[in-house]
Amino acid sequence: MSRDRKETVRLPWFGIPQLFPYIRKYRKTLILMIVLGLIASVADSIMPLFTRYAINHFIAQKTLDTMPVFIGLYLLTALIKMAADITSLNRAGEIEMSVNRDLRNASFRHIQTLSFSYFNQNSVGYIHARVMSDTGKIGELVAWRMMDFVWNVSYLIAVAAVMFALNARLAVLFLLIIPAAAAVISYFGRKYMALNREIREVNSKITGNFNEGITGIRSIKTMAIESVMETDFCRDTEKMRKVSVRAAHYNSLLQTTMSTVGSIALALVLWRGGILTREAVIEVGTLSVFISYAVGMMDPIEMLVDTFAGVISIQANIERFTRLMNTESDVADTPEVIERYGDTFHPKKENWEELKGDVEFQDVSFQYPDGKELVLDHFSLKVPHGTNVAIVGETGAGKSTLVNLVCRFYEPTRGQILIDGRNARERSQLWLHSNIGYVLQTPHLFSGTVRDNLRYGKNDATDEEILEALRLVNAEGILDKLANGLDSEIGEGGDQLSTGEKQMLSFARAILADPRILVLDEATSSVDTVTEKMIQNAISTVIQGRTSFVIAHRLSTVIDADVILVVKDGKIIEQGRHRELMRKKGFYHSLYTRQFEEAALNSMG
Amino acid sequence: MRGSIRYFLLSVLFTLLVSLFDMINPRIISFTVDSVIGDVAPAFPAPVMGMIQAFGGVEYLRNHLEAIAAAVALTALIRAVCRYFWRYYNAKGAETFMERTRNTVFHHLMTLPTSWFGSHHTGDIIQRCTSDMETIKVFLSEQLASLFRILPMIFLAFTFMYHIHAGLTGIAAAFLPVIVGYSLYFHRRVSGAFRKADVEEGKLSSIAQENLTGVRVVRAFGKEQYETERFESRNETYTAYWIRLMRLLAAFWCSGDLLTAAQILIITCLGTKYCVEGSMTAGGFIAFLTYNTMMIWPVRMLGRIITNLSKTGVSLQRLQEIMTAEPEQDRENALCPDLSGDIVFDHVSYAYETGVDVLKDVSMTIRAGSTVGILGGTGSGKSTLMYLLDRIYPLKEKEGKISIGGVDIQDMSAAWLRSHIGMVLQEPYLFSRSLEENIRIASPSTSHSEVRDAARLAALDESIMKFEDGYETYVGERGVTLSGGQKQRTAIAQMLVRKPSVMVFDDSLSAVDTETDAKIRQALSEHTADSTVILVAHRITTLMHADEIFVMDKGRIKEHGTHQELLDQGGIYRRIYDLQMAGQEAQT
Repeated sequence: MSRDRKETVRLPWFGIPQLFPYIRKYRKTLILMIVLGLIASVADSIMPLFTRYAINHFIAQKTLDTMPVFIGLYLLTALIKMAADITSLNRAGEIEMSVNRDLRNASFRHIQTLSFSYFNQNSVGYIHARVMSDTGKIGELVAWRMMDFVWNVSYLIAVAAVMFALNARLAVLFLLIIPAAAAVISYFGRKYMALNREIREVNSKITGNFNEGITGIRSIKTMAIESVMETDFCRDTEKMRKVSVRAAHYNSLLQTTMSTVGSIALALVLWRGGILTREAVIEVGTLSVFISYAVGMMDPIEMLVDTFAGVISIQANIERFTRLMNTESDVADTPEVIERYGDTFHPKKENWEELKGDVEFQDVSFQYPDGKELVLDHFSLKVPHGTNVAIVGETGAGKSTLVNLVCRFYEPTRGQILIDGRNARERSQLWLHSNIGYVLQTPHLFSGTVRDNLRYGKNDATDEEILEALRLVNAEGILDKLANGLDSEIGEGGDQLSTGEKQMLSFARAILADPRILVLDEATSSVDTVTEKMIQNAISTVIQGRTSFVIAHRLSTVIDADVILVVKDGKIIEQGRHRELMRKKGFYHSLYTRQFEEAALNSMG
Repeated sequence: MRGSIRYFLLSVLFTLLVSLFDMINPRIISFTVDSVIGDVAPAFPAPVMGMIQAFGGVEYLRNHLEAIAAAVALTALIRAVCRYFWRYYNAKGAETFMERTRNTVFHHLMTLPTSWFGSHHTGDIIQRCTSDMETIKVFLSEQLASLFRILPMIFLAFTFMYHIHAGLTGIAAAFLPVIVGYSLYFHRRVSGAFRKADVEEGKLSSIAQENLTGVRVVRAFGKEQYETERFESRNETYTAYWIRLMRLLAAFWCSGDLLTAAQILIITCLGTKYCVEGSMTAGGFIAFLTYNTMMIWPVRMLGRIITNLSKTGVSLQRLQEIMTAEPEQDRENALCPDLSGDIVFDHVSYAYETGVDVLKDVSMTIRAGSTVGILGGTGSGKSTLMYLLDRIYPLKEKEGKISIGGVDIQDMSAAWLRSHIGMVLQEPYLFSRSLEENIRIASPSTSHSEVRDAARLAALDESIMKFEDGYETYVGERGVTLSGGQKQRTAIAQMLVRKPSVMVFDDSLSAVDTETDAKIRQALSEHTADSTVILVAHRITTLMHADEIFVMDKGRIKEHGTHQELLDQGGIYRRIYDLQMAGQEAQT
């Protein structure tokens, strides 16, 4: 499965060029951020020079003559640094968040156009992480990593420049330290990063364990497997401790070595610098500058290495993001169609024709993109408008395939589907979808009010229309149960309602759209008898005058259908009306009779 | 804390050593500047003077500066080693503590009654177990470590600074409460803003989540544009909020920098003045500045740590709430009797905590080895009855009695009772492991062939073999998603391998089509001859062959008898039967 693929792809320049289109908009802000960052870090690096002046001038010459100028200059530098800092930090924040937002919008928008094969191959959690977390990490890279880089590099360069200006021989000593420090960091850093990755993995496992232990508590209790769960849990927490301690070991070792390297630099300065000062080649104040650099230079080096590590690790995010954006929909409208009917986000409704509801499968063969065999083989069927098609078969037999094709969630591999006599591909997906009503087996409601949810079917529906739709499916009763009527928040996934009630609402939602084609997917399987009867009544009212495709478990719902399609192992093996199929004495007959044989026998005996 | 306390103690010890060694270098520097390079007579306590003499005295050092460099490098090395142990033991302490805490919390969760889970939001419990746990961990492994370090550091730095110049130390110290106070004020303010940012992120995230889980609905209604606009407007709000928050952060950091710079400026100027006046040496001045810089950063961090302390307090309290919840407990000397006897419900009543009655005075006897059906609509109380039998819901005093083979189930060990009653739920839960591991989860010693036999009985084997990885197919949260019917059949197989004395099917064939339903029931009736079987359903065909059928309505048993008797009675059962069979008899 694609989500399990190891992401080891190396993109040129860490994939950063892929982001140019998203950064270009902010290049002015970016340049401003960099320039100001430069000013701030140069100001920072010359601060020790004030101490030097104080020692060399005031202290050595025992005078306080230029004190006001000294204070003035010091404050000026500090203020410039602060102003530059605050502005560049603000710019960085702005760039980070803006790039994040743009990337999130772009990926969300793109996902809206992807076809169902993408959703079948990738879990919701996986896709969700692409929209929400990859984008965030990339934005951070663009703003902060860049900022860190600018800051630290310019700080180091400025420091080097000051040192060379003060005393070249001492400065050279320093430059020798830098590569040594960098080597140490990258060695330990790599180990530490690898362990960190492991920690994150174990951590997500532990979270998963908690999740299972809590959401699955009923199953755990009824099977009395608490101890099994605990054993597993303890194994993961133990691993967590071991890996974390090991990571801490490397991290401490890294810090330890870094501070040792820093101290070696200090020792060198004292030694060589001490001699130079004694020989009066340099002054005490100058020595003090070198001392503060020796202490203060290790942090920027460490940060710089961190920045590189960050850039490298972000590659995977960039790679996943670009892969998502490069994923093309299996079901796409042609340029001509878009030209005439508009695309998903810019529909040209004025050019949309009325849809009557004639559907015809013309010599259709179909194979799922990730499937191995043809599930439809030269299938033809005419469904004149107003026809009620029922699809029956065993669980997992592939009853939703036909519906997927009618909704154009997938395209036929060969052959064509005609809507009102024209190939479905000649009109836009949005045009088709605007004329379809859909009720899922597990009803999906959105967070928001009852009205918001019902208006999903029709944007500008009035309350009267909404109530009428609810009446049609016998669901006005639900409103009485809710405190605020149509304004009641029904929460994430509609948690406050029973499954039956949710089904009724999603049904009303479909009705409100007044679709020419109606798709019902096993909508009657998990409610009690009375509710079921109610829904069945509603169905028969509602399919009047519409082309409808009903996927049903219960044969009682299909007896009146105009055409029954019997599916077995993904293929349509029989089709016809109830009486014809019964007469045929084939698979449908056995399905049907087996269900009621015993019942009939008992009621007679 | 037990088991980890010694690591924390070691960590404190080493952090003290690190802080102490931190203080030595600036003194070496000031000594070098003043007495080795300059000509000021060293003024140190006697032991230090002794050490200088041991090195060969000031004169010797003047010509051998490398000895000083060696001293610096040596202290640095010792300090570095101490630093390593400080960090290492701290991490070890924190991780050991976390392991124990996680295990204890998980164990406690496993013993809590299901009613507790029902009255708490799943998301909230998980958040307590993960985010709050993480907050505590970060505090222990990072903030506590810093706190251990900062406090002795401030103390020691001031001692050394005081030794150099008392007056200047007073001035440096005067800034301390200002910096800490400012940092504290800010972090208090900002942590509220961060919480709000989290809430905003949650909202944005759930729009994306809903869009993805409801992708069929979105597409079938052609609502892509609407969804995108909804997402983009939320995204805009979220982004704007963060940009504001970042402005606040930047303002804080930069003004903090300015405050620090002001403190350093004042110290530099006054220090210079003292040097010129002669109450301070140049080396002392450099050392003083070094101590001051060393101290200033940790002091700025103090505000953050104190703020986190209160955050950690909140997290601890939230975990504590889980830990103080009352676990399920067996009575003393709980029994483990044979459970193959008659099951008797004796005047059982049950009400939810909200006061709504679910069961009213239910009495029934289920004969050992018989098959019994319980028919009822949603809310009739049929599932509650089964949960009471399995002690998933506790039966209250004076609300009746349930016994098996004459023994009150309240006197039994809950684990014993549950492991001998096999219950298949309507919405069973699959765990993140392979199908095979799921099937044998409750009886780990089951062989592969036994697993397959059970799967065959549950009409599942064929579906499993269609998966690419067969029985090794990974299911659950991070694996393949099974259909409702496949889940139910997996749960049935899971129960069958346990060979329990009592089997309860709680509407567990509802998502299976009638054909498979019939197949499974056929197979089961052939293989469960010795067990007592209870079929709870709303579909008559599922239970019409039972030896006795109880019809439940609004928490009471309204009718009972065999299928035929009930049909003849012409009551509720008959009505439901007619409803379910409507339209079919004419065809046959």
